[in-house]
Amino acid sequence: MRRFKNEPARVLFMVISIASVITVVLVLEGFREGIYQQIRNMIFNRGADVIVSQAGVSNMIASRSILPQLSRLAIEEIDGVVNAHPLTTLPIIYNNDDRRTPVFILVYDTLGGPGLIEKGRGIKEAREIVIDKSLSVIYGLEPGDEFIVSDFNFRVAGISKNTAAFFAPFAFATYDDLIDLYFESDIVGDLSTLPLLSFLLVEIKPGYDARKIATAIEKKLPEVDAYLPEIFAQNDVQMSRSMLGAVFQLMIVIAYVICVLVISLIMFSAIQNRKYELAVCKAMGFTLPRLAAGVLLETLLITLIAIPVANVLAYLLAQLIQEVVPVYLVLSSEPGPVIRTLIASLLFALLGALLSLRAVARLDPVMAFRN
Amino acid sequence: MIRWSIKSLFAEGIGVVASCFGVAFAFLLVMFFSAIFAGESDRITAYPKQVNADVWVMQKGVANMHMAMSQLWDWKEDRIRLIEGVKSTESILYLNAVINAGGRAWFTYIVGLTGRAEYSGPWAMHSGKRLPNRGEVVIPDVLARLTGLTIGDSMQIVDHTFSIVGLSSGAFSMANSIVFVSYDDLADIMSAQGMVSYVMVRANEGVNAEQLAMRIHNELEKVNALPQKVFIENDHHMAMQMGVEIIVLMTMIGSALALVIVAFTSHAFISRKKRDLAIAKAVGFRSRHIYTSVLIQAMVLTLAGFVLAGLFALLLFPMITVFAPEISLQVTLGSLTEIGITALLVAALAALWPARQVAKVDPLSVFHG
Repeated sequence: MRRFKNEPARVLFMVISIASVITVVLVLEGFREGIYQQIRNMIFNRGADVIVSQAGVSNMIASRSILPQLSRLAIEEIDGVVNAHPLTTLPIIYNNDDRRTPVFILVYDTLGGPGLIEKGRGIKEAREIVIDKSLSVIYGLEPGDEFIVSDFNFRVAGISKNTAAFFAPFAFATYDDLIDLYFESDIVGDLSTLPLLSFLLVEIKPGYDARKIATAIEKKLPEVDAYLPEIFAQNDVQMSRSMLGAVFQLMIVIAYVICVLVISLIMFSAIQNRKYELAVCKAMGFTLPRLAAGVLLETLLITLIAIPVANVLAYLLAQLIQEVVPVYLVLSSEPGPVIRTLIASLLFALLGALLSLRAVARLDPVMAFRN
Repeated sequence: MIRWSIKSLFAEGIGVVASCFGVAFAFLLVMFFSAIFAGESDRITAYPKQVNADVWVMQKGVANMHMAMSQLWDWKEDRIRLIEGVKSTESILYLNAVINAGGRAWFTYIVGLTGRAEYSGPWAMHSGKRLPNRGEVVIPDVLARLTGLTIGDSMQIVDHTFSIVGLSSGAFSMANSIVFVSYDDLADIMSAQGMVSYVMVRANEGVNAEQLAMRIHNELEKVNALPQKVFIENDHHMAMQMGVEIIVLMTMIGSALALVIVAFTSHAFISRKKRDLAIAKAVGFRSRHIYTSVLIQAMVLTLAGFVLAGLFALLLFPMITVFAPEISLQVTLGSLTEIGITALLVAALAALWPARQVAKVDPLSVFHG
């Protein structure tokens, strides 16, 4: 505390250095959480109580599901079902300005459309499309602009927010336009081979058990699977964990190694600066464990000050990333990762401090009398 | 002056070592991130590269393979075979799907092979059968290792059960492992009998691929035909473009971290050497000499960190891919150059704060004791 008063610039530098490393860890953790959250949002924001897919398809992201057209009618006959809203996913590669971006077009009818529209409005007229903010940022698209898919001209009606997942933005269109797209773009001769119905978003009557309805659907229609949204979301999150878990883990490990090194550097430098004081203490009979306890306490104190600073920095950085690259969601303030980072940072700070203790151990008490 | 500053910097011992390693790991983080994108972008194109067709024919409006969907009538392949300059053709059905194996979900490319699969099938085998019949599947050896599956085991793809008959080599990737099944099985899964996704064309000797692609494009309706080079470039560019902004941001974050570490080290060093610097000023060294020495010191630290990061990358990246085979890392000269240039910028910026400290050192302080 006295050092903070006497050398505020120096202590501030130390706090910023440690906070910078913790910020990187929080941002990486935020990236990981954000990817999982985007996937959950993609499922939950469709608003279904039960999701029906082709038998054997247990994911919505990156999966192709084709349902028989008549399945909708059959599901709506089940007791407790209010409506089975159709949803079709159409993966396309959007090409503009010599740049290509994979886009998932979600074709909806009465449920499953875009949630939050940041600019413009929802679809009201023919040939309109709502695109995710990231497409607007990458290609400079605004409401009213053209959005061409396979020679078919859509007009951007609105820009939606939080409608991207798994590194790809979504766009939303209606069924009338999907059929027009298939016919007018002359993509392929046989319409029946193109995805017309991928999923059914089942809405159930209040008081009915979604689990029982899902079982009833599977019993009645063996060619489909029915899932609760949370199970579907869990499956997609599990898939992305399989793909990205090791990568994020490695990056977080690297960030923690930097954390240890930075803290050992800072504490070593602090010890060097006070080596005469410490030598005097040694000459006066202070034992190494006592001096070490002082160094460790100082490290913990600085790290504890750095943690809230890191949280603020990580939040600001997350906002910046989301503005520049809106296809990503960075959740740097989620309680789980924040607590995990806090505990790990303190432990690694102690490890860093232990590395610098060698310098204290090597201090010669005679030095106190030399200067 | 410069010699003194470098000599005394390295006399700091463990502090400088920790600083160099800190900078090195900050750059390593950046290298790792860009190596992942480069590695995956490369793996994404592994299949088309290995097929080594001269021309790829696909649905109109489609120009690549990764995350794309393409469907053509199979009779179009017969028409292509009759076009002048075409030596042979092979076709595949293709589907992106998530398969569940070994208790985990894997994003895969499922390739349905027709009976004629001389170059469209697995290009290297670890063991077992190369071409699957109905009800059979060939999976990447790495996927088998990660899931504990082996030849003879069963696995589920969508609603069909397959028996594993072969393990292919080089077909695994974090973003798109390639699984081979028979055309009929995949057509059943996709309800796409009579359709193919891509037709791979090999040209007669001396036939220009671009001209052949143009000819196919002109002679057949509703198709797109691209030379292999363009087709692969489209996939590679798209994958890299998907990561370009985030790589820039990660480079900035990692560089900012390196900047803080170098600035702190220089600042700490100058704080300790204030007396020596005052002497230097008192004996006539001009401020610009001292600034230069501070800048060079920051450069030495940053470049040492950068070189260390490069060495770590050389040493660790191959090890990472052994222990975590789902990760593909590729360090490119381009990304190294970019990080190297950023490192120089980091050094120049990191020297600013310590230089300000140097400017404030009073030569008279040396006589104050």
